[in-house]
Amino acid sequence: MARTTELTDLAERESLRSRLKIPLMLAPAVGIVVLLFGGGILVGLGQSLGYFPAIGLNEFTFEYYGSVLTDSNFLRSLWLTFRIAATATVLSSVLAVGFALVLRQKFAGSRLATFLFQIPLPVPHLVAASGIILLVTQSGLTARLAYALGIIDVPGDFPAMVFDEAGIAIILTFLWKEVPFVGLVVLAVLQSVGPQYEEQARTLGANGRQRFFNVLLPLIMPGIMSTSIIIFAFTFANYEIPLLLGTRFPSTLPVVAYRLYQDPDLALRPEAMAISIVLAIVALLLLIAYRRLARYAVR
Amino acid sequence: MTAVALSHLSKRFGNHLAVRDLNLEIESGEMVAFLGPSGCGKTTTLRMITGLIQPTSGDVLFDGESVVGIPTERRGAVMVFQKHLLFPTMNVAQNVGFGLKMAGVDKAETARRVTEMLELVELPDLESRKAHELSGGQQQRVALARALVVRPQVLLLDEPLANLDANLRITMRQLIRSIQHEMGITAIFVTHDQEEAVMLADRVALMFDGVVQQVGEPDTFYRRPSTTRVAQFFRNSNFLHGVRSGNVVSTPVGDIEVDPVQVADGSGDVILSVRPEEVKPVLAGSDAANTVPATVESVIYMGTHTQVVAKIGNSVWNVQTAAAFNPREGEEVLFELPKEHVWIVKDDSNSQPDAVKAS
Ligand SMILES: Nc1ncnc2c1ncn2[C@@H]1O[C@H](COP(=O)(O)OP(=O)(O)OP(=O)(O)O)[C@@H](O)[C@H]1O
Ligand SMILES: [Mg+2]
Repeated sequence: MARTTELTDLAERESLRSRLKIPLMLAPAVGIVVLLFGGGILVGLGQSLGYFPAIGLNEFTFEYYGSVLTDSNFLRSLWLTFRIAATATVLSSVLAVGFALVLRQKFAGSRLATFLFQIPLPVPHLVAASGIILLVTQSGLTARLAYALGIIDVPGDFPAMVFDEAGIAIILTFLWKEVPFVGLVVLAVLQSVGPQYEEQARTLGANGRQRFFNVLLPLIMPGIMSTSIIIFAFTFANYEIPLLLGTRFPSTLPVVAYRLYQDPDLALRPEAMAISIVLAIVALLLLIAYRRLARYAVR
Repeated sequence: MTAVALSHLSKRFGNHLAVRDLNLEIESGEMVAFLGPSGCGKTTTLRMITGLIQPTSGDVLFDGESVVGIPTERRGAVMVFQKHLLFPTMNVAQNVGFGLKMAGVDKAETARRVTEMLELVELPDLESRKAHELSGGQQQRVALARALVVRPQVLLLDEPLANLDANLRITMRQLIRSIQHEMGITAIFVTHDQEEAVMLADRVALMFDGVVQQVGEPDTFYRRPSTTRVAQFFRNSNFLHGVRSGNVVSTPVGDIEVDPVQVADGSGDVILSVRPEEVKPVLAGSDAANTVPATVESVIYMGTHTQVVAKIGNSVWNVQTAAAFNPREGEEVLFELPKEHVWIVKDDSNSQPDAVKAS
């Protein structure tokens, strides 16, 4: 009897040790991350709550949140931000799947095509944005080409895609950058699965459309889920592209926050921080809702 | 009911001919086994029948009509793959019901047939399991159920029983056979196990190196193997060289009479063969005809019979005799080669250098 308890004690201690092993090994790295990022977040949070000793603010208050949330332009900006991020996410996922389906096939030049497809990956977003400007402004290459071909009468007839409220150029820039990213993830899944399940489905009578929706899509869905979360989070919080390519008003929330932050008047800082914190919370809530929904849909 | 014909079918991969000029007619409702060692082109042939790969030359015909231009999903030939390939994102019931769903069969009917089929393959109560939660043998049976449930016109089975234990294998053989009979399915199944081929198939096609060596009912491979290699594949490596004139083959160990009606072909230099089960030990001084002297090399008691390896002339023979026959090693014995069991095989040891070595 005593011997058994001894043994279970030993086993327990052993399992405790193995359970603590990984956290202990991770501790140094986690510590640095928490210090660097957690510190930044805490400072931001403090400022948004009115704690900003540098300019003599020492009292905690929800005043800034109040003024941000009751501003009639806030909702308009939030909606714009959401619309651009959601459109970019959905379109990049759909396009990426399309490209991946083509690129997985062997055809003359398929390796070159796959290489070209990946080129946008290392290009900085700002460079991509300048490229898009060159391409789609009313004085850009596409407009001039359309004019030269007589499709439009004056270059000004070319639809406004830059500095427009629809944010077409912003979305195009995001797509150019993110489609290869999602596409490569999907391509990797497709290549590791190979054609075998589709072949099996074919002999069971499934046509191309049925094979895509019943066999392929469920296989690549987890990959699309993860990449779309990353892309949504990124595009939702990105400020440089909408700052460059968006209208002055309304602006996306990250742009509004950025402008307030850059303002020489330091008293605007708490509001900038309040917007950023709200943005982060909204993004988090949206992603949680998305995961729930996706899990439900998969089942 | 669909008859399948393969006509001058060939498949080349790079400069490797995987299947060479294959001709075979399979009657509607017939079960044919493609038998052969690994890499001989069995799977390649099945894939050409399904249309998953295109033949390099030759034709595949269903009921006399070429199907080469028809895409796989419209040929009505269902294949069970060597790797059972259950869809990983679906559970067992969804896997089995896949073909019915594709065909637009309504949900209630699908559910009923899926349940029924899972009972037949002895996997009830597993409907909601995912593929990776099943054992290899269970996965194989689910794959089988998934194919059978659609009642295909043509059923192609690529080693469908390879992962099963002996008992399940027998049950599943019977299941395949009875469903195939009942529904009149034309079936082709691939195996490298000659026992399975002869138990299950109406006819067997034996392939080596992409070439069909012999097609026939199972017993012909035992009684009438065309070549030394075919005989060996069916565990008969009893060969004796001789010279035939008329009904008699003269060998270094004496003259052996053959039945001129059964063994019409072959004259001059020939190789004669008698299956291990048909060679009979005789007592010295017996008046039996067609006897040859032999030196016993080893005796293995097998319970129901005794396996004797003996040297006849320069050749090593296997003889399977009654358990009571128990000679010593090195003993000189006499074997009868009954006239009705003496058969002449073609020598194809040239095409396969080590083929005539005793196994
Ligand atoms: N896609 C391919 N590309 C190149 N060679 C191939 C291809 N598929 C098969 N082969 C070759 O063709 C030959 C026949 O292959 P196959 O798969 O038909 O053999 P098998 O008889 O089914 O063998 P096993 O019993 O091992 O499954 C093999 O030599 C194989 O290497
Ligand atoms: Mg094979």
